[in-house]
Amino acid sequence: MSCGNPHEMDCSEVLSKVYDFLDGEVTATDRDRIAQHLDECGPCLRQYGLEKAVKALVLRSCTCDHAPESLRVQIVTQIRQISITYRSTGD
Amino acid sequence: MRLISVQPDGLPALRGGAVGLGSTPMTDNDAAAPPSADPDRVARFERDALQYLDPLYGAALRMTRNPADAEDLVQETYMKAFAAFDSFTEGTNLKAWLFRILTNTYINIYRKRQRQPLQTGSDDLTDWQLHAVESHDSRGLRSAEVEALDRLADQDVVEALAALPDDFRMAVYLADVEGFSYKEIAEIMDTPVGTVMSRLHRGRKLLRTQLEDYAIERGLIPAATGADGGEG
Repeated sequence: MSCGNPHEMDCSEVLSKVYDFLDGEVTATDRDRIAQHLDECGPCLRQYGLEKAVKALVLRSCTCDHAPESLRVQIVTQIRQISITYRSTGD
Repeated sequence: MRLISVQPDGLPALRGGAVGLGSTPMTDNDAAAPPSADPDRVARFERDALQYLDPLYGAALRMTRNPADAEDLVQETYMKAFAAFDSFTEGTNLKAWLFRILTNTYINIYRKRQRQPLQTGSDDLTDWQLHAVESHDSRGLRSAEVEALDRLADQDVVEALAALPDDFRMAVYLADVEGFSYKEIAEIMDTPVGTVMSRLHRGRKLLRTQLEDYAIERGLIPAATGADGGEG
């Protein structure tokens, strides 16, 4: 279950916070303790590496979505039309 | 005559001054006013809000999983946002405010269409806490496996994401693609931060498992991996 060595923060705690660590959502103290643990513990480092890879994959696969130009045109047209309608009805 | 029946009243969840989202308690005047006829307001909306068209469309695509519905959703989102633009405080987080409208709109449309609650799974934390304990011996993980995942096609990742329950998928998307903080995601999804964390944990766990399966199917990871354990 673990590398068998004593750590300041144990493996289960590190793994329960691995996503928070990846997302930059841990306190500075926890960040340092987790980083230190990852330096010392092979299994946790591998798990961390895998979670990091999955996070990066999600970003990689989702960054090339561009809205069709027709959608932009449609939105702008509608906004202006609403605005004109209100003005012409003496809002 | 009104062309479109969208107004701030359609967005009750956007009121109440969610911290950091720029939605501010509306004054009596704001509540009564229709979308302003001020041409500057239109220009400001086009300048400030339309820059987020691509990210909103990307998120809508993940939510609806098809381009036609994504376009409808984004259009509806912008119409609602425009109608409620007076309640947005300039200088605060417009992107998160728009994402919140997008999410609300999606949920409303989805719930109307499906007549059933969102597929959320259970939001309790027990699952991922248990997972944290058990994951050490799961597959004998090694850097070769990370490399194998890296070689997966984007389409595989898109499909794995699409297979996640709605709430999990959106939490993962908002965190990993848009880089929103947990607090921002909580406000966008109108849910406590603890629930966001639970959705992220469980969503990512499901996603990782699916991606590992794809990697095995594609021959990128030998199926027998793990036989020799992952103990360090």
